[in-house]
Amino acid sequence: MTAMTTGSGNGQAVQAGPAAAPPAAAEAPESRRPGRIRTHLPSSPWLFLAPGLLIVGGFSLYPFVSTVLNSFTDARTLVDGQWVGGANYQELIHDEMFWIGLRNSALYVLGVVPLLVVLPLLLAMLVQRHLPGITFFRSAFYTPVVASVVVVGLIWVWLLDDRGLVNSVLGAIGVGTVPFLSDQWLLLLSAMLVTVWKGLGYYMIIYLAALTNVPRELHEACAVDGAGAVRRFFTVTVPAVRSTMVLVGALSSVAAFKVFSEVYLMAGDGGGPGGADTTLVMLVRQVGTGLSGRVGYASAISVVVFVVTLGLMLLVLRANRKEDR
Amino acid sequence: MRISRRAARRAATATAMAAASALVLTACGSSGGSGGSDSASGKVEGTVKFQTWNLKTNFKKYFEGLIDDFEKKYPGTKVEWIDQPAENYADKISADAAAGTLPDVVNVSPDLAVPLAKAGLALDLDQAAAKYKGEYLDGAWKSHQIPGMEGTYAFPWYLNTGPMFYNKRLFKEAGLDTEKPPKTYDELFDAAKEIAEKSDGKIATLGNAPAIEDFGRYGVPLMDDKGTKFTFNDPKGVELLKNYKELYDAGALDSQALTNEAEATGRKFKQQSIAMNPGSALDLHKFKKEAPSLYKNIGITPAVTNTGKDNMYVQGVMVNSQSKVKPAAVAFAHFVTNAENQMDFAHEVTIFPSTKGSLDDPFFTKEDGTDETRVRVAAAKSLKTAVNYTPVMLNDQMKTVLRNEVAKAMQGKKSPKQALDDAVAECDRLLKAAG
Repeated sequence: MTAMTTGSGNGQAVQAGPAAAPPAAAEAPESRRPGRIRTHLPSSPWLFLAPGLLIVGGFSLYPFVSTVLNSFTDARTLVDGQWVGGANYQELIHDEMFWIGLRNSALYVLGVVPLLVVLPLLLAMLVQRHLPGITFFRSAFYTPVVASVVVVGLIWVWLLDDRGLVNSVLGAIGVGTVPFLSDQWLLLLSAMLVTVWKGLGYYMIIYLAALTNVPRELHEACAVDGAGAVRRFFTVTVPAVRSTMVLVGALSSVAAFKVFSEVYLMAGDGGGPGGADTTLVMLVRQVGTGLSGRVGYASAISVVVFVVTLGLMLLVLRANRKEDR
Repeated sequence: MRISRRAARRAATATAMAAASALVLTACGSSGGSGGSDSASGKVEGTVKFQTWNLKTNFKKYFEGLIDDFEKKYPGTKVEWIDQPAENYADKISADAAAGTLPDVVNVSPDLAVPLAKAGLALDLDQAAAKYKGEYLDGAWKSHQIPGMEGTYAFPWYLNTGPMFYNKRLFKEAGLDTEKPPKTYDELFDAAKEIAEKSDGKIATLGNAPAIEDFGRYGVPLMDDKGTKFTFNDPKGVELLKNYKELYDAGALDSQALTNEAEATGRKFKQQSIAMNPGSALDLHKFKKEAPSLYKNIGITPAVTNTGKDNMYVQGVMVNSQSKVKPAAVAFAHFVTNAENQMDFAHEVTIFPSTKGSLDDPFFTKEDGTDETRVRVAAAKSLKTAVNYTPVMLNDQMKTVLRNEVAKAMQGKKSPKQALDDAVAECDRLLKAAG
């Protein structure tokens, strides 16, 4: 930004300098022409940036700063808060629901991210081949991405209900009823599977783009040397798309840690039996919304979510950098 | 489109920052609520903004007529009607209240009126509209009074109570008398165990864990008179929870009872995998249309209670104390809730007026042989003694606390006593924090 402003100023200085006499002389009559509009004002770049800055400032920075400040108050929805220092953070430490939320969000990352990094890559390799009808499969795999998460969630609730289709089939083959939606762990696992199923197509597209950049010659050279498909996958494909894998890992980690919709739809407003499936973002909603919402406390949880997400990202990037060396 | 490692790293960092910052709560301004004047005297004129709670879809014509009548009665007034969806209604009100854009007249339930009154946003009708007090049933008028605060903060509007539906076929298969459904909790527990045993645990009697209304109907004291402490961990409350746990263990409660929402329970009742479910006269039409085989076997009985008193749901109409057209807002809120208009509304849908004498109208006392009038007459009769068991101080967060602790007791993670003690302690803490 500063460079752009300076650049504009330098341009004018050059024109005014003695060394630039000929061009200045050439431009002099034009610059003195009455009614000419100056197009390179020092403020021009700021004017171009203003819409973006206003949007970012109003909808990201201000809420962020406000949330951080609120986290040090006892603000409620309809009542201005008083400064309480770190009391909200102290309360977090003793709040059982916070630890349950943190555990579930962390488990979500551990359960979902590896699958979302690996499975879409395999899927992309599958649909990358030029086979008859492959376009249909590409579209089919991408369809869940386009579908509304609410609709998808409700469909899965009906399927996994104790008396739903999946349990009917399991019952028919003698397995019996599996409590997908009433056991806390199975419920979380079911929500993870929905997230993975819904996200596969999106990350598959990213991998498809990356795979087009893997030189065919490398595969051919490997094949000539006697490497099989698995060996080629690990020695050619994976190194070539590793940066994309990091990107997918980063994107899916952030999304997984902030999971709300899938768990909310499948576990209900209360967050599963006894609230055992509550995630951190669900807790923010439970605590901070409504007419009696504890905005200060919910803000403290939000700040923790932010810090953990940031930490998670840095961890992924650091791990990647180490491997680069 | 080759993505370099450096670019990927940069993109990942940017994504993390954007995603994490987008997560944070939006800034919530607080109105502070100076309270404003409670005077509603003056000329009835101006534009009144009126907000209802999910009523436009089915009752658009009724409300348009109501508004026309008001505007004719008070020339110089205009009513702008806004209807909000049922979902997240409290969030919508809180956003409006915080932004200072709360409509002049707002449809509320008693628990929603509490924080608004405490923030000074609800007009005290004992001062501003005391002359109308005598028109309403005493119990209904008091339903919008708040322990620890002087005043009444909304006009009572329509009341409702629901009968209990039961599946006669399932009762018969369990060897129970289909004409003698359970009336008390003890009878309910016995019947539920019988049904579970005879069906090898395939048929549950109820679809939900006990909520605060169940504690009330069981005869558990829910809160002290001053409204400063919850008391549902009383020995009677513990007894209720122990009984429900026994039902859960015996398969007499639906296996998903700890997470079921009302919609899911209703669906299972229609699928005939649950033998009893609370509802309203409206449900009869649904059964007839969507579950004819259930409709053939449907039984209707008053809600199970140990106190002899049914639970009453109350809707109210609050006047915004910050309204710039207070006289018109009070006049309109009263107009919406007066006996004549409530009676008209009751003819549109099965609700029950909160005005004195309305429930003695032949419409609510005489049966014409149909199930619909039978439900209506029975409900109107029970409303005369019904109680709103849900304490007005029990907000959504506290309800979640109770629900979670009840679930822990049912799963055996805590003893019923420990679970209720913990629930009371947490609800008391939240109550104190709410000021």
